[in-house]
Amino acid sequence: MSASLVKRLFASLLTALLASMLVFLLMRSVPGDVVSQMMGQAGGDTAENALRQFFGLDQPVYMQYFNWLLQVLQGDLGTSWTRGVPVTEMVGKAFLVTLEIGVITLLVATLVGVPLGIIAAINEGKPLDTLIQSFNILGLSAPVFWTGLMLLVGVSSVLSWSPPLRFVPPSQSLSTNLEILVLPILSLGLLQAAAYSQFVRQNVVSAMHQEYVRTAIAKGVPVRLVFFKHILRNVLIPIVTFMGLILIQILGGVVIIESLFALPGLGRLLLSAIETRDYPVVQGALLIVVATAMVVNLAVDLTYRMIDPRVRES
Amino acid sequence: MFLSHMFSRRGFLRSSLLGATMLGALASAAPALAQTNALYGPVAENPTMGGRLNMGLLVEPPGLDPFHQAADARIRVTVLMYQGLFYESPTGEAAPLLAESYTVSDDGLVYTIKLREGVVFHTGQPMTAKDVAYSYNYIRNAENGSPGAGDFSVVSDIVVKDDYTVEIKLSEPNASMPMTLGNKYGAIIPAGYFDDENAKNRMNSQSVGTGPFKLVEFAPNSHVILDKNADYWEKGMPYLDGIDFSILPNSASMLIALKNNRVDLVPLSRPQDVQQIEGVEGLTIERWPSLGQTAIDLGAETAPLDNVLVRQAISLATDKKEMMQASIGDFGTVLGTVPAGLQEKWGLPLDQVPMQGPDVEAAKAKLAEAGMADGFTLTLTTINGYDWMDPAAVTLREQLAKIGVTLDIQRVDLGVWIKNFRSKQMGLTFNDWATQPDPNLLFYRHFHMQPKGADFRNWNNAEASALLDDARASSNAEERAEIYTKFQKILAETVPTIMLFSPDHITVRRERVNNYSQHPTGWYYGLARTYLSE
Amino acid sequence: MNQSTIRSAPGLLVESARRMVRREPGLALGLAILAAIVAVALFPQLFTSASPFDIDVAASMLPPSADHWFGTDDVGRDIYARVIFGTRITLSICAGSLFLSAIAGGTLGLVSGFFGGWTDQVLGRFVDVLLSFPPIILGIIITGILGPQTINLILALSIVYMPVFFRIARAGAMSEIGKTYVEAARSMGINEPTILRRHVTRNVMPLILTQYMILFPLILQIQAALGFLGLGVQPPTPDWGAILEQGKDFILFAPWMSLFPGLAVLLASLSLMLVGRALQKRVDSR
Repeated sequence: MSASLVKRLFASLLTALLASMLVFLLMRSVPGDVVSQMMGQAGGDTAENALRQFFGLDQPVYMQYFNWLLQVLQGDLGTSWTRGVPVTEMVGKAFLVTLEIGVITLLVATLVGVPLGIIAAINEGKPLDTLIQSFNILGLSAPVFWTGLMLLVGVSSVLSWSPPLRFVPPSQSLSTNLEILVLPILSLGLLQAAAYSQFVRQNVVSAMHQEYVRTAIAKGVPVRLVFFKHILRNVLIPIVTFMGLILIQILGGVVIIESLFALPGLGRLLLSAIETRDYPVVQGALLIVVATAMVVNLAVDLTYRMIDPRVRES
Repeated sequence: MFLSHMFSRRGFLRSSLLGATMLGALASAAPALAQTNALYGPVAENPTMGGRLNMGLLVEPPGLDPFHQAADARIRVTVLMYQGLFYESPTGEAAPLLAESYTVSDDGLVYTIKLREGVVFHTGQPMTAKDVAYSYNYIRNAENGSPGAGDFSVVSDIVVKDDYTVEIKLSEPNASMPMTLGNKYGAIIPAGYFDDENAKNRMNSQSVGTGPFKLVEFAPNSHVILDKNADYWEKGMPYLDGIDFSILPNSASMLIALKNNRVDLVPLSRPQDVQQIEGVEGLTIERWPSLGQTAIDLGAETAPLDNVLVRQAISLATDKKEMMQASIGDFGTVLGTVPAGLQEKWGLPLDQVPMQGPDVEAAKAKLAEAGMADGFTLTLTTINGYDWMDPAAVTLREQLAKIGVTLDIQRVDLGVWIKNFRSKQMGLTFNDWATQPDPNLLFYRHFHMQPKGADFRNWNNAEASALLDDARASSNAEERAEIYTKFQKILAETVPTIMLFSPDHITVRRERVNNYSQHPTGWYYGLARTYLSE
Repeated sequence: MNQSTIRSAPGLLVESARRMVRREPGLALGLAILAAIVAVALFPQLFTSASPFDIDVAASMLPPSADHWFGTDDVGRDIYARVIFGTRITLSICAGSLFLSAIAGGTLGLVSGFFGGWTDQVLGRFVDVLLSFPPIILGIIITGILGPQTINLILALSIVYMPVFFRIARAGAMSEIGKTYVEAARSMGINEPTILRRHVTRNVMPLILTQYMILFPLILQIQAALGFLGLGVQPPTPDWGAILEQGKDFILFAPWMSLFPGLAVLLASLSLMLVGRALQKRVDSR
């Protein structure tokens, strides 16, 4: 591992630390905690204080943070205050759901978006290009949750079908799993395919306008050869980079899709934990989100280096 | 006292005392009526055994610990797994559950309770008197952090007489003691259960009660799975092999799931939802009476709400019926001073309730008397996620505008709202809460002066508090009713709260679901008597 | 001044509009829709006589008709009026938040890039923290934890894309700083804040403005999504996201409650995107 990578890793850790601190402070700056929720309109001060002590909420905020950090450094994200389940387990399960949706959506977006983008670029200025560009811009303009809602209602009223309710991991039943995920992935994938196609088209078009490409074509080198030898090679890097960006985008979009389609993923867990003021779960879920984004960025960086030797040297 | 909880996010719908059925169906309404006092609902005549029921829930239980979690969404589900000594029968009596019978001493201070024999915990141990003593001693010790602790503050001692007899001693007479020993907070669990540090957490993965169903799995944002308790003490019960609760994020998903045969039974949150599935083949919609209420609370901690004339003016300007129409249509009952489910037995007759609107002229006169004829601006707090509050707030704003009061609507998160409520800084706010079928449990904690009550609304009314004490100590039902009538007159006259309406409970079931009855508390007791045909 | 420019102004306008439609149909379409939307936002009462607040329970959940073009909602309010009046609210929240974010992010970025050193380190780290969350999640954390109030929504929306402005301004400042005019100004004894204000800002401004347009549809999407999750503008205020949130529960029976505000978001995004792209093309080619 090169020194620059180590440096980056270190910077990432520092960022994660600061991010967790920010969230920690933000959560504790608002009125109402898990104890007042457990008490509701009942209970008395003694009971309330006893519970607050149980959760360590009676300590000063910096001590709470320090204790939490100490725990995390030992690989323990604590226990959910409302579920009594280890946060690692809860967040882990939810993350797998989100990751599955994310990866499949990425796959769909890539398989649809990249070819569309290339086709549009090759046909630059022709009706096919306009058509694909219109799709791109429409796909990017439609709110994800709205597309999802319309799909759900449309499918339900036309086919009298709706996804099964209880989420099943693919290891248990792949077919049921896919049945559940088809609509969410479709609504997310549409947006991301549009984004991808848009991006690929732009890159391919600008590559085609490069001097050497024009020269090669002018010299009579077959277009197909030029395309595969020069253009594709040149746009590969941005395409890979963009994949990472899209995965992070998807991670965000999944949050909304999960609450629409009742999927027990990270986003819904985060929302419900915020609502019930289950701080350890909020902290844990966000830690995973931040870590994932960092890992994706790092992976993109590494791939980058592998594809383009020039980066390695610099 | 523990009148509690909300968390009924999204209102609940309710209706007449008899649980009028709406779209025909449930032809068995008559026998159901005759048996409403039976534990959990009517016993089925010819039930089919077995099968798993799919039920959709809009609100996920925030936890499944009956001792430390006050949310209504928790109670609705845990009553199937845990049992107290008594059952809150819808007609208002406390029916023996894990108790078999009881006697009260003449001074009303000692309850001698004979326990049911042959009851076994989900853990396999038999239940005896020491478990009962342990469970209630645990909950009444406020150091253990139960929201229900306050309700047991009149208990001074619990004595194990023999394996199946306990004595509960009180420091002062309390007519609603048996109801307090019900199923809202706490339950009978094995003695020493909480000695283990992880015991609280374990309740979310394993049940240790005596109820008809056992917990199998509780997956956040997804599902709760219950299996039949094969060793259950009521012979031949329950009929179902198990219940699968699916947690759904909004009523749209729920209705779509219902239409497409993904769930068998759902409680609906709003009348508008009924419209959406009315006439769908194979679905039966039913309405049930409720002990829930929606209300405007008027905290007297700040001006101008500290002025009783202002509160009276607001009460007079409020058109409860119009507010109900706007938020739930006709699917509810307009209230006087008690929730609909308590009106017949305990309520001040509606035509005798003072300060009822809409009477714009009288309201204006009150404001003029208070020297505020020019009107003023007030902030109304509503809670995020309670659907009825939005249309009701807009309607109230229009009503108050007629007397020159400008209403700013502020929507806050539940957590913030509870915090304000508990610290007695509620100002003018909507509230949504439910009670057990008992007037003491409804009024005492909310309206008695501190320190005996919580007096959340800073009402600070000595006369009313004295009446609450008298009623609680009285063992004569008629006398109690009379005292509560006096109390309600003061309540309506001085307006710490304006009870608006009780929304009906509405359930929708597929044809294969039989014999489900909805308890007025909104808890899912009825599942212990439900069976599936086919 | 030559002859052709003296021709009447309207004629010129028509001519250049015609040219635009021919050369850049996307931009022309975008501008046309955008102009319409801005007109609606500025003068909603010209487009409807109905009130977005008036409740009429008797007329609840009516399907679209001649009286109610987009139908009515659960308490009988006219959806068309709510969408029309919501235009101003939704767009001004987005525009305002993005403006705050451009000001804050831009200023911090300029300062960071111009002064470098510790200032740059500290600010850069802070921005990295914000960037470590996906935008929508950052929005959810802020509005979710602080509570659903318009002020929190604006705070959240202004923070979400602040890092983008920060980075652009910082990079702009750094590239300008080595240029001769800055050196020259320095050698003339003009102090640094003045250079920053006068020269660097002027050169970085076009980049910020372009980015503003590019980010506008994105912030609109986030605003709508937060509204949909119940974390946005609160009822009864008509806001596109809020109308969608209310509508989702009636989607089976009254799909128009969700359809039209969704279309409004789509149209606004579409027009902003078309304009933003054309703008970027021009800046890039320069």
